[in-house]
Amino acid sequence: MATMKIGIVGTGSMGQTHAAGWAETPATIAGFVGKTAAHVQSLAAQYGARAFPTFEAMLTEVDVVDICTPTHLHHPQVLQAAAAGKHIVCEKPLARTVAQAQEMIAACRTAGVKLLVAHVVRFFPEYVRAKEIVTAGDIGQPAVIRLSRGTFRPQKATDNWFTDPEKSGGVMLDLMIHDFDYARWVAGDVARVFAKNAAVEHGLVILTHRSGALSHVEGSWAFPPPHFHTRFEIAGSDGWLAFDSEKNAAVSLALHHRQTDAADVPAPGIVLDESPYTTQLKAFYRALTEDAPVPVSAADGLAALQISLAAIESAYSGKPVEISPLPEVTA
Amino acid sequence: MKIGIMSFAHLHAEAYIQNLRAIPGVEMIGIANDDATRGEHFARQFNARRFPSYDALLAEKPDGVLICSENANHRPLVEMAAAAGVHVLSEKPLATNLPDAQAMLDACRQAGVILMTAFPMRFSVPILEMKSLLESGGLGKVYGFNTTNQGQMPIAHRRWFVDKTLAGGGAVMDHTVHLADILRWVLKSEVVEVFAQTNRILHADTVDVETGGLLMLTFADGTFASIDSSWSKPLNYPTWGGLTVEIISERGIVTVDAFSQNLDVYNQKQNSHTWAYWGSDANQAMVAEFIAAIRDRRAPEVTGEDGYKALEIALAAYQSAATGKPVKLPL
Repeated sequence: MATMKIGIVGTGSMGQTHAAGWAETPATIAGFVGKTAAHVQSLAAQYGARAFPTFEAMLTEVDVVDICTPTHLHHPQVLQAAAAGKHIVCEKPLARTVAQAQEMIAACRTAGVKLLVAHVVRFFPEYVRAKEIVTAGDIGQPAVIRLSRGTFRPQKATDNWFTDPEKSGGVMLDLMIHDFDYARWVAGDVARVFAKNAAVEHGLVILTHRSGALSHVEGSWAFPPPHFHTRFEIAGSDGWLAFDSEKNAAVSLALHHRQTDAADVPAPGIVLDESPYTTQLKAFYRALTEDAPVPVSAADGLAALQISLAAIESAYSGKPVEISPLPEVTA
Repeated sequence: MKIGIMSFAHLHAEAYIQNLRAIPGVEMIGIANDDATRGEHFARQFNARRFPSYDALLAEKPDGVLICSENANHRPLVEMAAAAGVHVLSEKPLATNLPDAQAMLDACRQAGVILMTAFPMRFSVPILEMKSLLESGGLGKVYGFNTTNQGQMPIAHRRWFVDKTLAGGGAVMDHTVHLADILRWVLKSEVVEVFAQTNRILHADTVDVETGGLLMLTFADGTFASIDSSWSKPLNYPTWGGLTVEIISERGIVTVDAFSQNLDVYNQKQNSHTWAYWGSDANQAMVAEFIAAIRDRRAPEVTGEDGYKALEIALAAYQSAATGKPVKLPL
């Protein structure tokens, strides 16, 4: 089999992280395309790859398109990549609306290409371990789950799409979707969502799962830099487990402040022999080469999106939002 | 000053009796309990005089009584004490329904005696520190609160805690009122809406009341607050439970853990891990306030009206959980 060729669109922090991940697989990074020429050039040089002038130019040269662009661009780019018959990695959130995501899933099915929605939390070992413990029945049936993820407002030197709710969906779509996906992975489909969001972009959301389990999900962009934490707690009928990235940190820093470059989107320090971003891309590589199932299905990405959008709607309307099962998810 | 204790049904009586004895000028005259066996047990344990009946205790003309009966039995004891012209500190929740709570308020007002609700968290030093921080204005605008009052399922302490008739409900009735009261107090605003979801997955084989509960309160000033009132701490957790408050503000995030001041203690012979609390005793300060209010002939810091308002919020939570819709207050 010829070496699989990867093209990465979007050269911000996530594009850089994915490039590092693909470099650990047998695949070859064919090249990059992005808005910032300097980033594209330097990544191309670093990985001995090409700097493509356009997305279209890249499509003709690759087997897999890895989409690391702002959320509002996922829909057109996935459709284009699918039409070109390319397998696709799409950063979370899958899309900006449910209808877009449904169209994207249908397009991938029609084209016969595989789509990985990059819900990387499913590859972080603390979250994987907890899921394994729940699946093994070691803490019984999940009853009350608490998930929290908090950091500062994403910063970008120019054109900060994160802070444009039309493009990113704000904290409840961009950040909280990780934990909505995880809550659903652990306790099953969600029936009802009730949410509040502070003007500083700090959401509190109550999920009622069809199983009867309840999840309290917190997501925040209201912390000062460089804060980043993740926490979870799962109370089950036979036990309880908990994680706190601050309490369970293997390495902690307490350094005097000095003027440094503005941080890009924050990412937690990863003290592991393999980055979960790499684990995720290796799993997708196996799905493509060994015809194994995609580790996070497009339906999972759609279901998480639906919860995020319901939370946004609930926070706006002040009313609970009932989740209607989508054919793509229930299938 | 003479103080008696009416009923030892609530385990807090075991702390209060020692709190009373620690206050100079207070004579703990003794205890009465309708269950003579229980009365005898605790009279012996605390070397206290046991009165054969509540009437006999009141005939001793105490200045005040602490009422620690089952929640549903607060009303008759409060009415007896009021009729005897005796000041009252009643365990929380004040009652199990609003007509009972109103009758207690009326009886004490007509008799001209104090009715104080036992909300010890108002006297918790970490919570007082939080209140001064809020009042300093240093946090800027406060948008919301993420709070928890989780505990172990209390059946091991007292069977009636899980009896819907005597307790008025399960985890939500047991735990909601503390945080509802603190939030009303620090915000100086009333709750206008309650959304809640409950379940009975934890200890489903043992109890028929709800053991999991998540609430979202909305205050008249627009502030929101989630409360996790679940009995979700496992039975082998190092302590009974805890109470935490996270403040979401313009300046950032403040977290308060009212019971974090512990030592980790491991005992090899008992194969145990427990937490030894070394923080200040909120119960002591609360009982001292009751005594001071009697002595100074003034209203206590926390009143029967506060107990009524907190109960109303818990009752609204049950209505919301039953319908799946937010419930407007006042009921």
